[in-house]
Amino acid sequence: MARLIRTEKEVEGRFEEVWIVVEEDPLEQWPEGPLEVVGRPAPRKDGPERVRGEARYTADIRLPGLLQAAVLRSPHAHAKVKRIDLAPALALPGVRAAIGPCEAHGLEEEAGFAGAAVAAVAADTFVQARAGVEAIDVEWEELEVVLDPDDAVKRELLTAEPRTYERGDVERAFAEADVVVEGTYRTQTVLHNSLETHQAICEWQGDTLHVYISTQYIWGIRQSVADTLGLPEDKVRVVCEFMGGGFGSKNSPDEYTFVAAELAKRTGRPVRCALTRREENTSAGNRNATIQRLRAGARSDGTIVAFEGEFTNSVGWSGWNASTEGPMRMLYDCENVRTVTYGAKLNTPPMKAFRAPGFVEGTFGLECLIDELAAKLDVDPLELRRRNYAASNDGTPFSSKNLEDCYRLAEPHWERRHEVHARSDAVWKRGVGMASQIWYGGGGPPSYAWVRLGSDGRATVITAMQDIGTGTRTAMAQIAAEELGIPLEHVDVVLGDSARGPYASISAGSSTLPSMGPAVRAAAADAREQVEDIAEQRGLPKDTPLQEIVAVLEESQILGKGARGPNPTGMSVLTFGVHVVEVAVDVETGEVNVERVAAIHDVGRIVNPLGASSQVEGGVIQGIGHTLSEERLLDPATGRILTTSLDAYRMPTIADVPEILCEFVDRPDEHLTNLGSKGLGEPPIVPIAAAIANAIRDATGADVHELPISREEMLRALREADERAKEREKRGAPAAV
Amino acid sequence: MTELRLTVNGGEHALDAPVGTSLAHVLREELGLTGTKIACNEGHCGACTVQIDGVPQLSCITLAHAVEGEVTTIEGLREHPLVDAFVNADAVQCGYCTPGQVVSAAALVAANPRPTREEIRHAMAGNICRCGTYPKIEEAILSWQG
Amino acid sequence: MELLRPSSVEELDGGLFVHGGTEVVPLLREGLLEAERLVDVRGVVPHGIDGAVIGAGTTLAELEVEPAIPAALREACRLAASPQLRSMGSLGGNLLQATRCWYWRLGYPCRLHGGDRCHAREGEHREHAIFANEFCASAHPSDVAAALVALGARARTSRRELAVEELYRLPDDGNQSTTTLEEGELLLELELPPVEASVYLKAMDRKRWAFPQVGVAVARTADGTTRIALAGVAPIPWRIERTEDLESATPLPRTEWKVPLAQALVRRALAALA
Repeated sequence: MARLIRTEKEVEGRFEEVWIVVEEDPLEQWPEGPLEVVGRPAPRKDGPERVRGEARYTADIRLPGLLQAAVLRSPHAHAKVKRIDLAPALALPGVRAAIGPCEAHGLEEEAGFAGAAVAAVAADTFVQARAGVEAIDVEWEELEVVLDPDDAVKRELLTAEPRTYERGDVERAFAEADVVVEGTYRTQTVLHNSLETHQAICEWQGDTLHVYISTQYIWGIRQSVADTLGLPEDKVRVVCEFMGGGFGSKNSPDEYTFVAAELAKRTGRPVRCALTRREENTSAGNRNATIQRLRAGARSDGTIVAFEGEFTNSVGWSGWNASTEGPMRMLYDCENVRTVTYGAKLNTPPMKAFRAPGFVEGTFGLECLIDELAAKLDVDPLELRRRNYAASNDGTPFSSKNLEDCYRLAEPHWERRHEVHARSDAVWKRGVGMASQIWYGGGGPPSYAWVRLGSDGRATVITAMQDIGTGTRTAMAQIAAEELGIPLEHVDVVLGDSARGPYASISAGSSTLPSMGPAVRAAAADAREQVEDIAEQRGLPKDTPLQEIVAVLEESQILGKGARGPNPTGMSVLTFGVHVVEVAVDVETGEVNVERVAAIHDVGRIVNPLGASSQVEGGVIQGIGHTLSEERLLDPATGRILTTSLDAYRMPTIADVPEILCEFVDRPDEHLTNLGSKGLGEPPIVPIAAAIANAIRDATGADVHELPISREEMLRALREADERAKEREKRGAPAAV
Repeated sequence: MTELRLTVNGGEHALDAPVGTSLAHVLREELGLTGTKIACNEGHCGACTVQIDGVPQLSCITLAHAVEGEVTTIEGLREHPLVDAFVNADAVQCGYCTPGQVVSAAALVAANPRPTREEIRHAMAGNICRCGTYPKIEEAILSWQG
Repeated sequence: MELLRPSSVEELDGGLFVHGGTEVVPLLREGLLEAERLVDVRGVVPHGIDGAVIGAGTTLAELEVEPAIPAALREACRLAASPQLRSMGSLGGNLLQATRCWYWRLGYPCRLHGGDRCHAREGEHREHAIFANEFCASAHPSDVAAALVALGARARTSRRELAVEELYRLPDDGNQSTTTLEEGELLLELELPPVEASVYLKAMDRKRWAFPQVGVAVARTADGTTRIALAGVAPIPWRIERTEDLESATPLPRTEWKVPLAQALVRRALAALA
């Protein structure tokens, strides 16, 4: 029966209270371990069309009469449009329409960052639209530019009230601590740079707006577009069959969608508005930079008694104040914790969710600080983490937590450090580091699926969700095949169109599988029960293959429906893990080689071990880029973005990839849904930076406090370590590594 | 508009386009071959990789009018055994870079049927994959039995 | 725009030369180069290797696997750019590529664009020059140029012969060009004098597909002289006589890190040569 509940909904670490209707989830969980289909490696259902170049992405859609839009963007980091004249654009060949500030949502008079959208032009070709944009005559009034986050905090230029958190008595705990460590950690701005740029095609058919868009959230786009344009939601159809990467940046419609919708309305023709790569680097959002001033106190037995953190998120012109303090609050059992988190409002491009926003940054600071503490206490870093194991989330029980098992699986990798150290020489110093991971990933209701079963014994799963490249189609097919007892090849999955299935959750916050998987299983179970009824009526034995039972149905179909049940009440649903990383550092040139990464995660039941290992590898590799080579740079005088192309913004290539070993605890969360699975998209990127930094310290004695660990930062840290060692020698103390 | 003749996947095409038009644009917009992706449009990412006389090149910065050899796109490599190798190794996530990866890999194994890991990393370094499918791409190419 | 495809030097008559297009095409698209006439010079520029002479139209991909050329040049080609760019880009084009300075590439009115200041000096310059950076702090990105300068290579153009080193000049107020090529002059061939041994070492921030943070080429000729040339440290390929010369570098605040890096690489390269 459907039940109306008031519940806390979490996406990307942000919580809101919502009313939702949930259906009971009466199915017993499957037993632990690999089953017939679930828990066994499966190549992607849509692998062939993607690999063969047949998959149709938004960028590949060609509609009759399609016009191309280009957007005028502010060259100034903060400025107001004093006067704008669109007429010169409209006079150019091929130009069909032009719109200015306030004529579409997202086109604004006040540009808060260099790259903010101001006006747009639709033309027969993109080159013509571009020429139109260049012809627009704008007079700007330049305004004060704020780029320094500390300065912004001092002046109370914030995106929201500072977020404070406190438990216990932090002052007293620090006063009584035997050992105190502190440090300032900085992380840089990094960009999603999905290979398919942000884009949408809008077409009006009667009073219905068809939106083809590269998105992580079909239903969010539908709602948001309808709300903004004042349309009933059913008058907005959203289509995304294949999309080329999002990583958190494609959760909302943004200016390009509204530009396309408005220009389509004015021209009566379908309009594409696609960002160029350069625009992707200036205007499509980013992981914000942070400054973290951290302090930890411990007793000499290794018990952590106090944490204190002041976190400044360089949010930019818009975005939200991500929970950079989250790991400090949640990862360890510590009675006294105090944090304050500022969201600095700057004249820089907007923050957008990026694969575990806040926790990636916060884990770097916290887990480096823990290793500093371990060094000062002379306690093994793994042992220190075990001694401060959190049994609950500040009093709230975990639905499941197997971090201890992750630590156990990490032991053989951690043990290698003696042998790794032994392979150091005068130039290449080798070391091993670790870091733990905590993050959300439980998903939640609502999400719905239908299963259609024909007389040929083949099933089709139908739901209007998106597969952003994580293997959603495959995992859903595996779950349905398992429940129905039919081969994986006999299950198809139809998704990607709001007009072709029920509501589905966002593919963000590692929520796709834990949100939709249980709904698919419920729908398949509903279909299976109907099949069993038919078997009974036909007098067939219980173990008759499904195909035989339904063979008599001819045109009849069996339709199963399923919904995601509620999350366990009064429990924290979280994911856990640990990375053990081996690095080699060339102490003369500052070159860092990440040589081996053991990534061990606890995310409940693994549905597709092959796809899961790909998720882990992908997260690790993206994290290596963030740690070593990626950084968005601004001109300090003007706030204009300097790294707008992929020769300057350097993401890892295949040559940068270390040996990566994936291990899973693979134990269903007994309190979470009929599946017991949590999400895995984000966890693997959370601990990697700290693990690399800790390995560097282990190898060289150098403290790296800043991302990226470029050669500049590495050489600086090595020089500082060198000076420290010399200082110690002078004082007669033994030089520690 | 200037006349342009191209041989693509064995078929000959004659069309008109302004000088300066890229090969990638012609493939996608004029010939409907959208398997070739444009992701940066300035020669940095490799998503637009096609072969010209068997050599991997960046179609987004290739002048269509200057093309002299035979162009092979992913559409001409759909039956290549590497396609199955990529699928079976899970060397595809979002898939946007994947056609370009296959085009580069096909050129590699044509020249060097048994590449080592190091050779693969050297030959494939111009195809950026933001999802990080690299380990699986390496496996796919290593597993290739041409 | 028109595209001409001459087949001999005699047919050349103005226009913008394009060979592999890896540099010219993106610069045209960004409006940093303008031309009504494009001249595809592949029919004019020699291609391939003939003894010590290398056609300027030979691609980097061809050179990186060529056992007959000195190790420094082979390695500089192997570590340059990406595989596709090496397959497209010619040796001559590589030598004439423009800086990667973001201010220049984004069209800031900097001195190289005829403006009155170097934006990098006061701005974001962590990848910039440590030598000759007073007028313009850009860093020369060509690995191959450093190798050829160290090797003492000579160039033949459509008009003259000169040392590769003489192809380059520091820009100044009167002339913003970093090369000495005249309007309409085309690079045709490179000639390598015999060398006993040579090495190229390159520091990048990825393992592949990155421009040099610092590139170091060293070569020892038959008469025992050693030549050292660096990429990524000055607006043009930069020669030094000995490691100690690096002490006279004039780094900007955020390029100081390049000095110890260059010192380490030069020491290593010289050691490898011995």
